[in-house]
Amino acid sequence: MTSEAATGAGSIPAAQRTALIERFRRPMTLGNVVRDLPPGFVFAALVSLALVAASRGGFIWPPAICLGYIVIAFVAGVGRTFLVNFLRMALIVGGILFLARSATQPGTTVYFTIGALRVTRESVLAAGQFALFVVSVSGALILLFALVPIKKLMLALEQSGVTPRATFVVLASFQSIINLGNHSRVVAAAQESRGIEMGGSIPRKVKAFFAILAPVFLAAMGETEERALALDARAFGARARHTHLVTLRPSPVGLRILGIVLFLAGIASIVGAVTRWF
Amino acid sequence: MPNESRFVRFLRGYGRLTIFMIPIGIAINIVGGQIAILTKLPLYLDSIGTILIGALCGGIPGAIVGGVANIINAITAPTQLPYSLLSIMFGVLAGFLSRRGFFTKFWKTLVTAPMFSLIGGVLGAIITLILFGGFSGAGTDFITASFVAAGVPITPAVFLAAVPVDLIDKIPTVILVYLILGRIPDRLLTKVPLGYVYLRKNVTASTPSKPAEAKTAADA
Repeated sequence: MTSEAATGAGSIPAAQRTALIERFRRPMTLGNVVRDLPPGFVFAALVSLALVAASRGGFIWPPAICLGYIVIAFVAGVGRTFLVNFLRMALIVGGILFLARSATQPGTTVYFTIGALRVTRESVLAAGQFALFVVSVSGALILLFALVPIKKLMLALEQSGVTPRATFVVLASFQSIINLGNHSRVVAAAQESRGIEMGGSIPRKVKAFFAILAPVFLAAMGETEERALALDARAFGARARHTHLVTLRPSPVGLRILGIVLFLAGIASIVGAVTRWF
Repeated sequence: MPNESRFVRFLRGYGRLTIFMIPIGIAINIVGGQIAILTKLPLYLDSIGTILIGALCGGIPGAIVGGVANIINAITAPTQLPYSLLSIMFGVLAGFLSRRGFFTKFWKTLVTAPMFSLIGGVLGAIITLILFGGFSGAGTDFITASFVAAGVPITPAVFLAAVPVDLIDKIPTVILVYLILGRIPDRLLTKVPLGYVYLRKNVTASTPSKPAEAKTAADA
């Protein structure tokens, strides 16, 4: 028996095998110029945009920067995902902030009153500015996670010296959320078929909640022991430098400098707004 | 290993199983919140994992669970990010209370709910007031606004809205934590730092017999 046959590698055509091996030799790519930018640079650029939006305020800069986020997202090919999350946040958080503040902030030019709530011209303007400020700063964070997949972000952190245990915690959390979510849906269906009602009064809903989650959580905790053994068998706890199947493209010096310049520009914008110099 | 970071040495002290429990705790927080929405419960129920891991593994792992879960939630709701501080404190408090046997009896567990809600409500209200001027874009803003409409000034209105809502949320949270803790097999309890508190054989919270490895970590 040849070694190829013994490993089962013979079942994969040679060209495919070479392509597979080559894929791991090249740095990771997401097939888009923007998404292939180093995570550190993307972070610096978005922090800078958020700082400019926060420091300039008003009705021009924050909406312009939000529009910029949308353009960047579409250029990066994640426009749809970003837009859904961004609009949801803008409508819910921005909407509640706008409504609550416009009804409670002080002002003299009264538009209308509902009981003790007075909606004035001044309160509407202040509420609009504040809601835009929060939405524009929050948008930067949503865009960061839309542009940089969590795996790439963790790999970048590991390469910059963060311990693999910390990055494992984050990556395993995402996987556990998916697993636990699926498992809880299965248990919910099973409990419903046993006659447990999901609707009705709050105590009944709480009871249904317990009936779904307690077995799911207990099972997940029981599985940690097996996972610990499985990872130990793969030398997860070995006190040596970990190797990686995937690598990131090294960050060019020019981009590093540009990232620092952009970050400093954001800081300068804050300093300028606070000191009223510019 | 000379280049081993302090974080790694610290986590190693807690035992390897703790590292694997942290992602489960984070997932419990997030899935708990999702199921609460699914069952149309008017509660958050998003700190079950934080309190559970804090009670089982100690304050620091609980704080990590709370902090990371909040950061993950902030991916879609960035205004939640400043409230990470609350989740971190929930984890630390859970570890502290667990070591004193608060989760071993049902009535003692219920006593912890106001403690968590004081952190969640009071500290949460302070964050809301400082960072957002009283309204954070969450559902409780409508309660705050109704207090303001009734003539209550904004600062007490924020506290009046936040503390009771948090108490109503924390009661089912700690009950679920108690139920889960009571059903964890001894085999698993012996391997986590504060598991000795919940071991059913010959051990009570006041006279714990800590396993050697767990003792080092729990005392850290």
